[in-house]
Amino acid sequence: MISIYCWRIFVMCCGEQTWATSRMEMGAKEKNQQLYKPCNGIIAKKPPTSLQQDLKELRGSASCPRSEPQFEMADIFFFCRRGVESILDDEVTKRFSSQELDSWNLLTRSNYNVRHISLRLTVIWGLGVLVRYGVLLPLRVTLAVTGIGLLVVLTTLLGFLPNRELRFSLSEKIHLMCHRICVRALTAIITYHNRENKPKNGGICVSNHTTPIDVIILANDGCYSMVGQVHGGLMGMIQRAMVKSSPHIWFERSEVKDRHLVAKRLSDHVADKTKQPILIFPEGTCINNTSVMMFKKGSFEIACTVYPVAIKYDPRFGDAFWNSSKFGMVYYLLRMMSSWAVVCSVWYLPPMNREEGEDAVQFANRVKAAIAAQGGLVDLIWDGGLKRAKVKDAFKEEQQNLYSKVLLGEQDERDLGDDQH
Amino acid sequence: MGAFQSSPGQPEYVDLKEKTGFSISQIRVLHTRFKLLGHNGETLKRDHFNSIPDLACNPIRSQIIEAFFDRRNFRQNGEGPVDEIHFEEFLMVMSHFKAPSPRMIEERESVRREKLRFIFNMHDTDDDGTITLEEYRHVIDELLSLTEDLGKDTAKDIADAAMREVASTSMAHMEPDEFFEGITFEHFLKLLKGFEIELKMNVHFSIMDTPTFCK
Repeated sequence: MISIYCWRIFVMCCGEQTWATSRMEMGAKEKNQQLYKPCNGIIAKKPPTSLQQDLKELRGSASCPRSEPQFEMADIFFFCRRGVESILDDEVTKRFSSQELDSWNLLTRSNYNVRHISLRLTVIWGLGVLVRYGVLLPLRVTLAVTGIGLLVVLTTLLGFLPNRELRFSLSEKIHLMCHRICVRALTAIITYHNRENKPKNGGICVSNHTTPIDVIILANDGCYSMVGQVHGGLMGMIQRAMVKSSPHIWFERSEVKDRHLVAKRLSDHVADKTKQPILIFPEGTCINNTSVMMFKKGSFEIACTVYPVAIKYDPRFGDAFWNSSKFGMVYYLLRMMSSWAVVCSVWYLPPMNREEGEDAVQFANRVKAAIAAQGGLVDLIWDGGLKRAKVKDAFKEEQQNLYSKVLLGEQDERDLGDDQH
Repeated sequence: MGAFQSSPGQPEYVDLKEKTGFSISQIRVLHTRFKLLGHNGETLKRDHFNSIPDLACNPIRSQIIEAFFDRRNFRQNGEGPVDEIHFEEFLMVMSHFKAPSPRMIEERESVRREKLRFIFNMHDTDDDGTITLEEYRHVIDELLSLTEDLGKDTAKDIADAAMREVASTSMAHMEPDEFFEGITFEHFLKLLKGFEIELKMNVHFSIMDTPTFCK
């Protein structure tokens, strides 16, 4: 009942939004300003060529064969330009901030260049604020509180039931119900594709990670065992309640470092076919939903079926990315609840197994490529941990290696040339 | 949530446009990038540059980063390093990599000089106006790696050979026993005479002035 009401308001706002966008476009054309961000990055990069080709091209323009004294200097230009291009636009840094939108969705938070365009637009934006904060937010908060409260109370009660089978089937229903309430609380409009590939017992479900809400979105459609660290406070209470009725895997902080222990617990869980599939996010951190970063190989070392899932959020209705360095969980949830909605698509991909002669890293990359292809995301080899850590020196050494190989090749040619004189 | 956020108004951008030659839309995009790199602070420090993974792979990254903090590149006739830079200084350094507009030949010459001056400053780390053998060797060391393929001696040899060539070309008229102090800027210009740096040392900005709609 309430959700239908909300939906009506939502549709009305959508209509206003389309009008507002076209008004802004017209205004931009009048003033000849650029309102839309360019499709590509800041720089028009040439297609990637090998280091050797680039250097040959650079040296080729020197005037005469006596270019030996110039050869190092010319090469510096090349690295210099590459360096400046990296400063202007690199693949990794922009993944850790929210995606920029082509058109404004009436949320000030997604607009980086907020300027006053017209009175009418300001009024509409004001109306939008009223609706979002006055109507949608209180409704959603109430729903969320109800959902979480029910989850905690019911699962605790269920823990007291002696009969294991009854407990199991009831816990499934309770989890599903509470997650559905939470989904309504966020007004998440989810489209599930290929449900025949849904993860089954005794497997591991892997997915790309954008926000903690990913968990609720997936758990809305099936029951999973979650894996995570034990927290304190409200989260800890929810975790303890949940584990009473169904087998989730919570690790103490100290245990997380011990990879063998982690692997053993996961294997044990997977071996028991009555237990639900485990849900894991191999990226290890939240990425802004434009790309998929390196999958950590730990979850792919366990011998079982992997069910990949791709989740793609529609950025027009609200920015789902949790930038943990910018704001905490509570502020993030409030932001989510005061956006228009959370619209996303979930694709269940066909199950994959590790093949003969494939190691964990190759398997992880294969799964990652499949998820990226389905979700329309960029497949990157970079590690999501770069959000907080620095790049290893090994990469710099690799470039140096490449360059010295090129130089040595040139050096040999020059020696030969000298011998001939 | 009531007030609109303020962004630098048009007058500031116009001022920067005069000084650096970038268009307003390019300045706007660069400002967004500046804020992203600096985590929305007012200034950028060396650490911010160090956290770019792509740049970390570059063998001469420390020289490139130093170039951003070198007052000689700010076109204000200053000298010496600074610890942090504002957006204006960032733009100044970036403008060295702009492609020259297809205009008069005199402009191309001055653009060429500027770009070569930038590279010269990158080599000349002690600000004395000459590139000594030591400084040159240092740059080459950074470019090469210390693997089994190329021992430390080989790198030194390559640097020495290159430096000797440079000395012989530029000091052809000097007495044989005179001490070679280093490459001055004028020698540097002469050395790279045939080299079309104004075409090679450019970063192509893909931003256009007219609105482009992407679908």
